[in-house]
Amino acid sequence: MQTRPYQWMYKPTPQTEWIRRQGMLLWLAFFFLELGAGTFIVGSAFNNLQAMFTGWLITAIGGGGCHLLYLGHPLRAWRVLFSSGWKTSWISRGLIFTTVFLLLGGIHLILAQWATSSIALLVIADIFAFFAVIYVGFAMSYVSAIPLWNTALLPVLYAILGIWGGLGITLMTMANDASAAVETVEAWSRIFLVAFIFIVFIYFFTVRYQGAVAPSSAGKTAVREIMAGKWAPLFWVLVVVLAMALPLGLALSTWMASLAIPIALLYIAIIFELLGDLALRYVILRNGLYTPLLPL
Amino acid sequence: MRWGMVIDLAKCISCYACVISCKQEHFLPAGVFWSRGVVGEVGTYPAAKKQFLPVLCNHCQEAACVKVCPTTATQQREDGIVWVDANKCIGCRYCVMACPYQNRTYLAEIKPHHPGQDFTEMEKMGRRLYPLTEGTVVKCNFCMERIDAGMAKGLQPGEDREATPACVNTCPANARTFGDLDNPDSLVSRLIREKKGFPLHHEFGTEPSVYYLRY
Repeated sequence: MQTRPYQWMYKPTPQTEWIRRQGMLLWLAFFFLELGAGTFIVGSAFNNLQAMFTGWLITAIGGGGCHLLYLGHPLRAWRVLFSSGWKTSWISRGLIFTTVFLLLGGIHLILAQWATSSIALLVIADIFAFFAVIYVGFAMSYVSAIPLWNTALLPVLYAILGIWGGLGITLMTMANDASAAVETVEAWSRIFLVAFIFIVFIYFFTVRYQGAVAPSSAGKTAVREIMAGKWAPLFWVLVVVLAMALPLGLALSTWMASLAIPIALLYIAIIFELLGDLALRYVILRNGLYTPLLPL
Repeated sequence: MRWGMVIDLAKCISCYACVISCKQEHFLPAGVFWSRGVVGEVGTYPAAKKQFLPVLCNHCQEAACVKVCPTTATQQREDGIVWVDANKCIGCRYCVMACPYQNRTYLAEIKPHHPGQDFTEMEKMGRRLYPLTEGTVVKCNFCMERIDAGMAKGLQPGEDREATPACVNTCPANARTFGDLDNPDSLVSRLIREKKGFPLHHEFGTEPSVYYLRY
């Protein structure tokens, strides 16, 4: 939604700092962070070192790098780890979760590759990776004045997106693997696809019809903009058709016919899924509309 | 003690003097406003009416910006004033997101007021007198320098001009009143009590220190 300067906080006003200009980096940071951490978790569940390493790299370079580049003063980022901000701030908690995950995950990967690692270390790294996956949803849902974000469903949606993306990346690393694990990952991927479709529907439905903290037009306006406004083509094409309908059709047809998904189709479906993930995050960030101050 | 402000909307003449005096007081660069006016319409023609709402940081008692700051750069003083320590701010802008009133600004770059030209001597002097740091978030601080300096001289904020925020001093219609919300006998407390002052968006639970009196 485009508001004129004179409509500031009189009409539902879009947030800009987390999506426009330098804010685009934060959009990518959130995507890469959750995708990487999700991939690490899935990789560890299937004892796939390659997937775990890929996830670790995506989080460190994509997630961590974009986060740092986004900051106004990246060299001061260390302050987050040594302040008491974690008691109430989700950004602080997220950075701590990510740092601990990268540290322990990195140690585990080194030990597992060249020596023997411990399962306890991996479990702790996995727990922090999971916290890293859900932190973005909590950070955004804390913003009470943006009804589109201020819902408990957002952390759930982002957790599903992170793990689902992780399943896709793990499948890509298993392309030449003929083991039974591939089928299990595919089965989980189908389950997460259905969960994703379900949660997206519930999410937009609740924001549209219930509002969040206050009965506000901002939530309804945001959903209308996504479903039928300026961002509808992006949402319907990239999220609904490419990330939902096509993978669902592919999953159903191969499952019903008890066929293995051709590798090329599988790759395309995963790329569509990741594009849909990015697009959904974009429209949610872009349509973060503040509840106006007027009329009194 | 908790500093607060009451803005009488029936007295406000929408002259923007508060906006300008705030910019002058803090030498705010182009595009940065710590005091603003929200303009809207209610009703439909021919019964349409214009509404003007002067806004500034609400210095909320339960400030969302203080809670979300990952480095505790945004702090709240004993007297309720919420301010930003520019040396601690990392520029993550979570506070900008969390403020339901949108009264924070991320200062990406200090720009001159005259595009395509260098900073004027006035602007250069302003940066020396009131340094702002690029890459950090800035906001209204209730003119805490004036309050602190004035109180050190034994002056009373809200009563003595030298210890009172610039926007209150400059208001030609006396629409703004500043004082101690914790003191039940202060003018601000009496105005809120007697004229049913209300804060903006109380439903967010932020407990703002800026109250409004109806049109």
